[in-house]
Amino acid sequence: MLVMTLLVTFVAEPSRAQESAIALGGGASAIALLTNATGTPQGRTLTEAYLTQPIVSAHLRAGWFHATGMLNFEGLTLRRGELDLGEWGEGYVDRRHPHAYVHELMIGAESPGGPLAASVFAGRGFVPFGSDDPMARPFVSFPVDHHLAQILERLVVVAALRGGPIVAEAATFNGDEPLDPSTPPLARRFGDSWSLRGTLFGPAGTELAASYANVKSPEFREGQGLDQRKTHLDLRVTGTSGPFTRYALVEAARTTDIDRGRPLYAFDAFLGEAAVCRGDAGIAARWERSDRPEEERLLDLFRSARPATDLSILGVTQWTTLSAALSLPLVAVAEAHAAPFIEVAHITADRTTAAVFDPVQFYGTRSMWRLSAGVRFGVGHGHDRMGRYGAADGLPVSSVGPDAHERHSTSRHRCFS
Amino acid sequence: MTRLRRLCLLALVFAAGCLDHTTGTTPHASCSLTASGGSLGSPTIPVIGCGLVGSRYTAEVAVLDTTAYTTTWGFRTAPGNMLAVWNVKGNEPELVDSVIVSGATTLGDVAVSDDGKLLIVATERTNGSLVVFDLTNPRHPVQLSRLATQNTYNGVHTAEVGRIAGNLYAVLAIDALSGAPTPESKVVIVDLADPAHPREVFIKSIPSTAPFVHDTFLRDGLLFVALWNAGIEIWDVGGGGQGGTASAPAVIGSVATIGGDAHNIWWLHDAVSGSRYAFVGEESGPAQIGVSSAGDIHVLDVSDLTHPREVAFYHVAGAGTHNFSVDETKGILYAAYYNAGVRALDVRGDLETCTPGQQVTTGNITRCDLAAMGREIGQGLDGGGGGAGGTPAVYVWGVELSGGSLYASDMLNGLWKLQTVQ
Repeated sequence: MLVMTLLVTFVAEPSRAQESAIALGGGASAIALLTNATGTPQGRTLTEAYLTQPIVSAHLRAGWFHATGMLNFEGLTLRRGELDLGEWGEGYVDRRHPHAYVHELMIGAESPGGPLAASVFAGRGFVPFGSDDPMARPFVSFPVDHHLAQILERLVVVAALRGGPIVAEAATFNGDEPLDPSTPPLARRFGDSWSLRGTLFGPAGTELAASYANVKSPEFREGQGLDQRKTHLDLRVTGTSGPFTRYALVEAARTTDIDRGRPLYAFDAFLGEAAVCRGDAGIAARWERSDRPEEERLLDLFRSARPATDLSILGVTQWTTLSAALSLPLVAVAEAHAAPFIEVAHITADRTTAAVFDPVQFYGTRSMWRLSAGVRFGVGHGHDRMGRYGAADGLPVSSVGPDAHERHSTSRHRCFS
Repeated sequence: MTRLRRLCLLALVFAAGCLDHTTGTTPHASCSLTASGGSLGSPTIPVIGCGLVGSRYTAEVAVLDTTAYTTTWGFRTAPGNMLAVWNVKGNEPELVDSVIVSGATTLGDVAVSDDGKLLIVATERTNGSLVVFDLTNPRHPVQLSRLATQNTYNGVHTAEVGRIAGNLYAVLAIDALSGAPTPESKVVIVDLADPAHPREVFIKSIPSTAPFVHDTFLRDGLLFVALWNAGIEIWDVGGGGQGGTASAPAVIGSVATIGGDAHNIWWLHDAVSGSRYAFVGEESGPAQIGVSSAGDIHVLDVSDLTHPREVAFYHVAGAGTHNFSVDETKGILYAAYYNAGVRALDVRGDLETCTPGQQVTTGNITRCDLAAMGREIGQGLDGGGGGAGGTPAVYVWGVELSGGSLYASDMLNGLWKLQTVQ
């Protein structure tokens, strides 16, 4: 179904959002990335280049019926992962893992707009927990807290109810995280995990959200690993003033590993990021301090095995990252565009206990730099946000005024996207 | 002092200078232990000497006469792919050889056959294997064979060696590995009759209720299997009278130990207590390697092998147990206790009869507290009692009695040689 939708989208007319009862849109994008990082495992400085976040997306709306999907081809372009010190998850460490080929494929129904609205979506996609996926945010490099602040690529059913400025979401899904880009989730584990998220939409494009998730055995696909209890709180602000657009996010997250109901380890994250754009050019900054569990590495020091052989860890490191990004004016030809960018990050890694994992010993330093440059390429129009469906995807434009986030907009700026 | 030891000490001094003192890691470059000021609850087990290893984390220890073998774990400044060979005839263990096992990140277990002819080593993680060495020259093991199959792919966590009906076998505990062709944990029994060509004769997947097997104990045709959350099972592999064999074991008894996380077992054959008790090590959490651990020793009455029952326990606050070695002549169990060093327990006699003040009831099970009974008779490498953190910090993985001495493998420091409790 997704493939057919994508074909229809791109063969017929890229980026089309009709005023009629049927709206079909989509886009494709990719980022050519060159990254230089100091202080990688064993003290090496690495320079790597690849195509990251190569995606094709489509969305369809026909009355109450909605469908949205995204294919991600990082399994082809980024098999070894994207160099990103501090980042971890799905068996990758200090590299961001490639996402699943079927990153998102959700269908659903949404009641007509108005003061009270409801929606139900099902498929493979984002769990209503935490903040928007980093792919829909200003920085190319993912934050360390990705696995503390988002839950994605699950078989999920999401129900959302919006009343006035308040949105409540509930979901059930499979706890197991993806093994690799091509292996589908275990259908038999659907329903073993759940989440709740509440969002209050305020004036001037503000939204305050709190969420909780109970995730069964995310790291042991067969279901007998440690469970996780996850909490998340964030404040997000977006708006437009003349040629300027602004965005800010502040979030706090905690994930607690649970063994048969008994808490073992807790990992905290705090992140603040903001971006200001004038037209298609902009600047962004991000500060983050996040905990990371240290686990036994494999022969490839950027990988670890799942699950661990017992309940122990090698320690908890605290990663503090200060990043800045500059997105330059894009070059556009018809529906296609290209936008150069540059990112720089200073990263520090600190032990939180005297456990054996010592960043100074492992990386040769506790202070690292990462410099990235590249070009964002795109055609058509992809997601504005990633992680919300139907009634939870913001308020109707008419209800909050011109500064509000524009749902399914086709005329927004392309800064950082 | 040999040139090698000088180099080791220089390397350690250099490394110590790079350590973060704010985190409590204390540099050291000698075998001397300094207590932290805590009071010891029982006599200290004196240190005779040590062999320092600074480049890798040390794992298990096995000893054959005057030669000791230690394995390595994880990644320090080098991967845990080294088997170290020590001359332990003198007070100070002296490194005399080392063997690098390719394709491994951890060599988690090592054992010597009862005839002293073979050494077996378990390798982790992915592409796990059993490596068999010839010990014709004990100081210089020579690899005879390496068994790496789909059944060992997930990683071989432990490998025990013993005899069943006179034939030599290895019993492997296989890791679980998410997404592997066979992701579940397994027990694999390997026939070592022809050690150059080891042969799998039995494979059993561990039920999801466990869901791991970490270690086994083979004796008298009975195999004790530590099944993590499911406790332990006792398998007849030829000595239980239930028709079990190495290639077709029969389960004859089981018990879920309190708290689960059953990691290792020792079935005691004591001259006084007989074969009444088995000791189970619980490897619990939270645990941060090098600094903290958790888990008790659980005492099972196995006088009825079909209905083992838990009767006693031993607990150390702030620390957890790992592997055992038992002086069955004297009735003393030595337990590796990670950050609390080594503990010695008097396990002779009746362990399940105690005063009400020495009892603890969990659910509907009442157990005797061996510590309250005064059964703890020695502490070693603790430096202050209760894992309080002496100098240097230790994280003891395994212990092995041999030739009247006790050897302790310490992940942080290397190999210690200690006196035994008299």
